[in-house]
Amino acid sequence: MSFDVEPRLLLNKLAFGPSAADLHDVQRSGPEGWLQHQLKPPMQDDCTQRIDAAHLRLKYVSKAPEAQVDEDRPIAVIDQPIEERWRVVEKNEPQQERGFFRTAVAAATLTRAVHSRWQLREVLVDFWHNHFNVNAVGDNLVAVALPTYDRDVIRRHALGNFREMLEAVATSAAMQIYLNNRSSRGGAANENYARELFELHTLGRPAYLNALYNKWRKVPGALEGQPQGYIDQDVYEAARAFTGWTIEDGAGTGPGRRLPLTGKFTYVETWHDNYQKRVLATEFDPYQPPLSDGRRVLDLVAEHPATASYVCDKLCRRLVSDTPEPALVAAVAKVWSENSRKPDQIARTVEAIARSGSFRRSAAAKLKRPLELYASFARATGIVVAPTAGLIGELDGGGQRLFGWGPPTGHPDQSDYWLSSAMVRRRWSLLLGLADDIWKAGAPIAAVAIAEKDTPESAVRAAHRVLLGSEGDGKLVMAIVHGLGLKPGLPFDTRKDALPLARRMLAYCAMTAAFQMR
Amino acid sequence: MLRRRTLLLASSALSLAPSVRALAAPPSSGQASLGPILVTLFLRGGMDALGVLAPVDDRDYVACRPPEMRLLADGDKPALALEGGPAGHDFRLHHEMGALRELYQEKRLAFVHAAGITNGTRSHFGAQELIERGITNPDEASHVAGGWMARWLAACNAAHAPAFAAGAGAPESLSLHADTISSPDLRGGMNLPGGKQAAALLPHLYGGNSAFERAARRTLADVVLIDGRLRQPDGKVAPYQPAGGASYEDTEIGRGLTSVARVVRMETPIRAFAVDMGGWDTHDNQPGRLANLVGQLSRALAAFHADLHDRLGEIVLVAMSEFGRRLRSNKSNGTDHGHGGLMLVSAPSIAGGRIHGEWPGLASDRLDNSVDLAVTTDVRSVLAEVMAGPLGTPAAIGAAFPNFTPKPVGVTRA
Repeated sequence: MSFDVEPRLLLNKLAFGPSAADLHDVQRSGPEGWLQHQLKPPMQDDCTQRIDAAHLRLKYVSKAPEAQVDEDRPIAVIDQPIEERWRVVEKNEPQQERGFFRTAVAAATLTRAVHSRWQLREVLVDFWHNHFNVNAVGDNLVAVALPTYDRDVIRRHALGNFREMLEAVATSAAMQIYLNNRSSRGGAANENYARELFELHTLGRPAYLNALYNKWRKVPGALEGQPQGYIDQDVYEAARAFTGWTIEDGAGTGPGRRLPLTGKFTYVETWHDNYQKRVLATEFDPYQPPLSDGRRVLDLVAEHPATASYVCDKLCRRLVSDTPEPALVAAVAKVWSENSRKPDQIARTVEAIARSGSFRRSAAAKLKRPLELYASFARATGIVVAPTAGLIGELDGGGQRLFGWGPPTGHPDQSDYWLSSAMVRRRWSLLLGLADDIWKAGAPIAAVAIAEKDTPESAVRAAHRVLLGSEGDGKLVMAIVHGLGLKPGLPFDTRKDALPLARRMLAYCAMTAAFQMR
Repeated sequence: MLRRRTLLLASSALSLAPSVRALAAPPSSGQASLGPILVTLFLRGGMDALGVLAPVDDRDYVACRPPEMRLLADGDKPALALEGGPAGHDFRLHHEMGALRELYQEKRLAFVHAAGITNGTRSHFGAQELIERGITNPDEASHVAGGWMARWLAACNAAHAPAFAAGAGAPESLSLHADTISSPDLRGGMNLPGGKQAAALLPHLYGGNSAFERAARRTLADVVLIDGRLRQPDGKVAPYQPAGGASYEDTEIGRGLTSVARVVRMETPIRAFAVDMGGWDTHDNQPGRLANLVGQLSRALAAFHADLHDRLGEIVLVAMSEFGRRLRSNKSNGTDHGHGGLMLVSAPSIAGGRIHGEWPGLASDRLDNSVDLAVTTDVRSVLAEVMAGPLGTPAAIGAAFPNFTPKPVGVTRA
């Protein structure tokens, strides 16, 4: 089975766009070698030096508690264990101290998206952060939990086993806070997590059959123990199963007793609803050992065929096109299910997608989301990322607020959503700002060589080649030359403003439909 | 499914890229009014209808929620008494909604209780999709294309007129509409990044027919329509001066309704507006959160009505949420997803100052699936009624809501 995919397509889909180094890698080891390498990244992060060196400006004045801060803070604070970070909660420090952890993870994410060798992992980290969305902007306690969620939950399992990832998510402080399970108590359980576990994390909305059936035994397949989907009764019962799963957040557990303040997962037996349950037509006996009710729910949903279809459909939409062929999704879901007990289940699934005919034919099938637009521009033009709050603010305003999407769906993955007039304007301003380096977050090095071309048209052609690997058609080249107020054929490299003009050439070439798609 | 691009391809009006001259042209003004304006307000997350407007003396209501989770007739913050509710009950409004009660008492505003979708979904995203697409069941989406506002516009011969969404993106109710202008906040203007250089250059980049190129052309035209009208002669964005002594708060709903009012005053061909307000998914710590939300909503609506006091004869505003919340509260001091919800209608010539909709009651055998307020009024019946009445577009109802027969609600005065 030969894997013969055009290198630019490969890097646009399974990486954050082509960089000179990765194009070289693909040419040297071939698409097959590159893919095999990417499917087995080492646990180790390869951007630690860059992240250790990165700082973000933190500046605020707080009245209660009284504090004044104006400093360049290292983003490496995200490496601390969660109980260390939880001190800002324990000491009731100003909310900006909590929010900093969100911007720091965003800064590390931008750095890795551009510079990590393990591009496929970065692409999947972005996928899973959206699949298991939490909102660290809406609730700054989630921000304190976010670095652990990013490192020990999403990154650790991004190419691993889904069932293991599911439990890591369920027991994470970030998800416990975001979907309220930490305050769920036996008697009248909080259904928020249980509902989204079914609807968004596993079986998916197509398997929600509540409008058709209101009794569990009516669901087709239920009496054989294999219900086709779920209804509200399953949500209620699963919510009961997760009662007692919580975090050490200082909540009272009885007269004079409180949980510690560390943010770590814990289980409170007295909050758990111990009686018998029935989830997806499976009976749970009463009084099971600690955590086993919840784990059993996770087993059931992870193994359900609807989960394979739903998650694989989303993966295909992310990696192939907005409308993946049903046959592709079915073939990929088969691989997913067959490998459900393997430690590299997700890697094997992604490999199946990459080897499909649909993948090979999917050039320019999707609009880049703002993160992809940023990273692909930076990678193509040789920006060395020095993340700043200004850059993160621009991406936030452009519609892709990293770790700050409100609803648990994650950012939309349909191109149409990103084409509103507000967002198209922000795409233009993002590219102009990157080219001119107005956020002081790294200038496009490629502009230097472009500024040395002898005529404006050869400079525009060079800019186009940097971004798209080809010279661009003549009409487009001339439109940019004239638009910049230049005359074809006149000397370019001798102009004093050749460098700023070269940067603008990069920006306008990146605004073409060809560069906006992946 | 018919996708957005299919409809866009059919649109010839969009094939014209704006010229440099058009970008520089001053805004036209003094156009004649194009008729009534529709403003829809979507309260996302599922507004707890029973925490906003409820019969405080109902035995089941009192039994199913602790005092902090329900409206109270007495205490230090009693809920506001309302006339015009279903007979035999003491319906009261959340104490933070005093400004809204005034609009109600002036008979400008009416409520429809126990309103929602007839489908049994308790999924946010499922329920929002059904309401915004204007359909009964998800499988209809395969043959009923786009959102109900888009179909309504098309049926009013306004398929190519711009609509305005006060948010980052366009909501599903405007899905497949050819031209939705979106902006979460107009205070910074709606200029073209890159200024004159970009204005001259960009139209030449987008001559093709890909989805991105069409969107880019549309955005260039939107900038021309809106930004010129926002600016003073010196090029700065004019600060917005609301009329009628109104003052908007800097909240999502405050910014959204400010933008709507501002665009209404610009006299553009825009007659459909969609505004979002999120945060209603109160699974925990509901009392404080809900009080904040309803206060913001109430004050923003009061400011909007004061601001556009001289235009209210043409403004129809309908607020809705994907569902109400469970009658019984949970132990997180919150409520989980429910069914029947609450709608709010403000329009000229309506039966205001009344709570419409058949009240189903809260006894166990009256609840949907024994747990949730039942739905007695389909959201579409209310919308159809305002189309027939104050919007003056009775012929568009069938297109907006195919396969649906509206039932009389009585919100509009016959």
